[in-house]
Amino acid sequence: MNISLNWLSTHLDLSGKSIDEISDLFTFAGVEVEGIVTKGIASEKIVVGQIMEAVQHPDADKLKVTQVDAGEGQLRQIVCGAKNYKVGDKVPCCLPGADLGGFVIGETKMRGVESKGMLAAAEEIGLPKGEDGLLILPEDSPVGVPVKTLFDSDTLLELEVTPNRPDLLSHAGMGRELATLLKTPLLTEKSPETATAAASADFIKLESAEACPFYTATRIDNVTVTESPDWLKERLTSIGLRPINNVVDITNYVLHETGQPLHAFDASKVSGALVIRHATDGEKFIALDESEHTLTPEDLLISDKSGAALALAGVMGGLDSGVTESTTSILLESAYFSPSGIRRTSRRTFLSSDSSYRFERGADPQAVLPAAALAIKLMESRLPDGSIQTAGKLPEPPSPVTLDLDRLHHLLGDSISTEAAEEILTRLGLNKLAEGKWAIPSFRQDLTRHIDLAEEITRVHGLDNVPSRLRATLVPTSDTDAAYDADMILRRRLAALGLYECQTIKLIAENQMTDILPLRPLQDGDIIRVKSPLSEDHAIMRPSIVPGLVASAERNARQQAKSLRLFEMGRVFRNAGGGKAKDQESDNLAILVSGNVTPSSWAAKDRPADLYDAKAILSALLPGHAISLKPKDRENVSLAADIKAGDQTIGAFARLSLKRERDLDFTHPVFIAELDLGKLRKLILGKFQVEPLPQFPGSTRDAAMELGIDTPNADIEAALGKANEALLVSYECFDLFTDPSGEKIPADRKSIAYRFNYRDSSRTLKQQDVDAAHKKVLEALGKVSGLTFR
Amino acid sequence: MDANRLQLNPSNGPLYAGIPTIVTYNGSNFANLVPLKYKYPLLFASIRVHSRLIIQNEGALFLEWQNRHQTKLLPRPLLSAIPLPPPMNEQIASIQSQALELIATATDERSLDDARVASIGKKGTLSLAGALIKDIPNEEKAAFGQSLNAARTAITSAIDEKQAALQEVADKAALSGIDLTLPARALPTGGLHPLTLIRDEAIQILRRMGFALAEGPEIEDEYHCFDALNTPADHPARNEKDTFYFNSGKLLRTHTSSVQIRTMETAAPPIRIIAPGSAYRRDEIDATHLSVFNQLEGLFVDTDVTLPDLKGTLEYFFHEMFGTSTEVRFRPHFFPFTEPSFEIDVKLQIKGQPPRWIEVAGCGMVDPAVFESINATRKDNALDPTKITGFAFGMGLDRLAMIRWGIRDIRLLIENDTRFLSQFA
Repeated sequence: MNISLNWLSTHLDLSGKSIDEISDLFTFAGVEVEGIVTKGIASEKIVVGQIMEAVQHPDADKLKVTQVDAGEGQLRQIVCGAKNYKVGDKVPCCLPGADLGGFVIGETKMRGVESKGMLAAAEEIGLPKGEDGLLILPEDSPVGVPVKTLFDSDTLLELEVTPNRPDLLSHAGMGRELATLLKTPLLTEKSPETATAAASADFIKLESAEACPFYTATRIDNVTVTESPDWLKERLTSIGLRPINNVVDITNYVLHETGQPLHAFDASKVSGALVIRHATDGEKFIALDESEHTLTPEDLLISDKSGAALALAGVMGGLDSGVTESTTSILLESAYFSPSGIRRTSRRTFLSSDSSYRFERGADPQAVLPAAALAIKLMESRLPDGSIQTAGKLPEPPSPVTLDLDRLHHLLGDSISTEAAEEILTRLGLNKLAEGKWAIPSFRQDLTRHIDLAEEITRVHGLDNVPSRLRATLVPTSDTDAAYDADMILRRRLAALGLYECQTIKLIAENQMTDILPLRPLQDGDIIRVKSPLSEDHAIMRPSIVPGLVASAERNARQQAKSLRLFEMGRVFRNAGGGKAKDQESDNLAILVSGNVTPSSWAAKDRPADLYDAKAILSALLPGHAISLKPKDRENVSLAADIKAGDQTIGAFARLSLKRERDLDFTHPVFIAELDLGKLRKLILGKFQVEPLPQFPGSTRDAAMELGIDTPNADIEAALGKANEALLVSYECFDLFTDPSGEKIPADRKSIAYRFNYRDSSRTLKQQDVDAAHKKVLEALGKVSGLTFR
Repeated sequence: MDANRLQLNPSNGPLYAGIPTIVTYNGSNFANLVPLKYKYPLLFASIRVHSRLIIQNEGALFLEWQNRHQTKLLPRPLLSAIPLPPPMNEQIASIQSQALELIATATDERSLDDARVASIGKKGTLSLAGALIKDIPNEEKAAFGQSLNAARTAITSAIDEKQAALQEVADKAALSGIDLTLPARALPTGGLHPLTLIRDEAIQILRRMGFALAEGPEIEDEYHCFDALNTPADHPARNEKDTFYFNSGKLLRTHTSSVQIRTMETAAPPIRIIAPGSAYRRDEIDATHLSVFNQLEGLFVDTDVTLPDLKGTLEYFFHEMFGTSTEVRFRPHFFPFTEPSFEIDVKLQIKGQPPRWIEVAGCGMVDPAVFESINATRKDNALDPTKITGFAFGMGLDRLAMIRWGIRDIRLLIENDTRFLSQFA
């Protein structure tokens, strides 16, 4: 909301307060100052100066050396190039230090002659451009006073009023609040108009007392619709409103002065009485901004006998019922509409106005009649008493509220006296009743409970005046704590392995679904879509993190990143069973690896990551767990597999389909993995006991084998498992060789070498024991299809 | 004489290594001279296994051999054909000088070791000479022993010196030609996301004060996101323009405050939790807005929780976060679920700007209406609003990260450009 400081000053005396002080006042009243705009001359150092003498500059034809009386007791020498003045004229004199919009005047020498300031033209000091040369001030301008006092200047404050304080949405309301905080009186000439009114059953037909408890309308005849007087136009422009005509401007003025919205109908467009009724289902309404709306019975209309919709009550007038230049009689509406109805209509129709903004937050019912009276007065209409016709009745005044002093002092840490607390409430317009009860003014409908009063006291008292207390409590570790700790361990491991942690938006696009790697298959109905997405790019809740990483990788690749090693942890969302089990959330870890394994260097050739690099990251993430990939078909991706830790499936692995890699312009294979963070946490946090170190030496035996190139290594491992040799404690594959040319070994064969480690934990093995064990192992290997020993 | 002739082939002149020499007696072979390894004049030779060549100090040569445990001495005249070696002291001197020369000319460990073996090795020239001591008359043994020891000492120390010299050269060579200024080999670098870093920092601070972590769903119902938080049904936030809804009627939580409700529904006071998590608002993504952002929620509910607790806790938090001298202020504000409510500003200096107040969090005392609606759900009075009080706070982690690191555009936090991320590695 915009507040003009000049306008506000008609309610209370703000002289002597700097704008920063006023801004702080608002801040600590709970009103955020979002902007301060100064209009007119800002600087105090631009004063009225009288030119007492002007002689030719000795070294410059176009300059004169003037002696200026700026009310300082002695003359000030200023070099000036203007021609439009004569000695004796009064002009703006900028003293050293005057800030002309960022340009600060100083003392200087011009062509060797001292110049202690500047004589200014109108536009130089922020006024509209006048005649060429200096701004000649009126002869009676007092020498030495700031020029700003001779011209209108104003400060516009852009304020953010919280929704609980509709009483602050006007200059009168804001003035009342500041007067309370400053402990200064309000200026009495601005007290509300009083008005007499008469109930009317004929003129106003009020059909919904719930949506509109109180409605008034005043017929004003012999109206001349014309331009508003200057003062009114100035008021409106000072808060950024465009003057339209005197009638509309007066209603706008009254709204921003009192907070009570008014509406003026052209009386000639209203047939018979005003009817305040709910819309019929599907009724059409064209607002004065020419937008068309289909209404529901929840919406309240101002209508007439003909049934025509004149206005959407409290929100916006209709296109045809408003005041125009040809209007001669008006019906002036001032009413109290219930907040929730206005709120619903405004939300549903996406129509909002200064009027609906106030009604939906709660206008002051007691302002209805004074606001009407003020408007009538401003229209210079002398109407007989009782011309304001009313229907319905004003809502009951707010119920008294009890202030619990014990709880108040506890809340504030005993930092305020009861007297001081009560004084604050009194200043805020509350009246102390018996038994700790307080009467609430009608403009503070938000005060209904003890805590509301306590809040007011706290706010005015200020948290600065409340002591600080430091307390720590012992709390047991929660499951969430444990999960967090596990996540941090995993994060740090991945970072140490050379991966960057990412954060992507959890709302993804439909077309990103090609990249998903869900841990359980998705059926129709398992994807969760938001109802009204901001764009198709963010339409569905991600069922998998991988798509976000693929998009991040793509963006980095476009920036010529050669090494893409990314991970992200976070929520994924899905339904299950084709939508039967709704809104399942779980935490996943996703990894993406593509491109160079290390940054480029002189010491090694660039090498793009292959499958086994990706697998190495998975293994290093969970040391001590046997990580394996078990091939499993998946849509849209290649090389798909389940990731296993021992026998447990902990995630899904794949390479993007080669087509997808080409489509996204990836030049290297893109490996992706999505892991179940819940399972990883259990693996990370599992308790364990150390294995004793071996006490006896072991022996190793190697075996070089040859087998079909398509025979998976898993067959060898399976055979070793079947050998079930107790002495075989570990083995490793230490060589793999293929020769596509077929020269060294047939092209369809591969040579593979394993080392087997034999050990007995209770004794040193004899050679024949090792030989026997190795023989058993080799026999088991011999059963692998197509395997021969070399 | 001819009948008893001992003959060394070749018969005249010193014997040389590498030339197999057969010893014949009366024309028949009775021994092989071990071919010597080195190219210098044969001074002594040993006859393999059974025989020994003995040189007497006067220079006469006897050959003694053992055969089937018998020792026979050849008659002296038979040996006259063999040239007599020089006297013993000369021989030792000669051994020493040849050994020293070999040592001096050694160029590496291996040739030095060869020189050692050739002189003082088990079968080296000096060792073989030493073996003769038992055949030397007693009165000369001492002198012979001394000259032997002197030679051995000289050779050993020459070897040691040479070895040290060779090592020095090798060590120098091992370090020469290494360019310290060449760039490093490459290792991949990785790092945590700035949001993780700032979140972890916040969590560490709050854990020190005894807050435990809590969480809740991001797809929330209106009750937990709004109703229970005292937000009326027609509150401005509750519409499809500002909040993401689903056809099911559920929504994406607009704040992590819903976790307060979830926690209080099951736990009993004292409750002291923090809940970091995502929240969603239907904002177009631009330099200052994200539709998905990150918050950290805090809640302390007990029988004696007051504004001084709220103030002390949050002052401590922001002093830890931004430095103990950072000014913190509490501005009155409005939230439906707290009363009184405040926004918290800290006064910070951003590079190149004068210090200014920057909003960092919202907080307040839990509104009794929140306790009442939870009690209604719990069907008890565990959170009796006449006895239980509490404070809650919430802060935007994205915003804290932006303030901490001077990030101007919030989109950097979701674009994952590695040039950005690597700055946090």
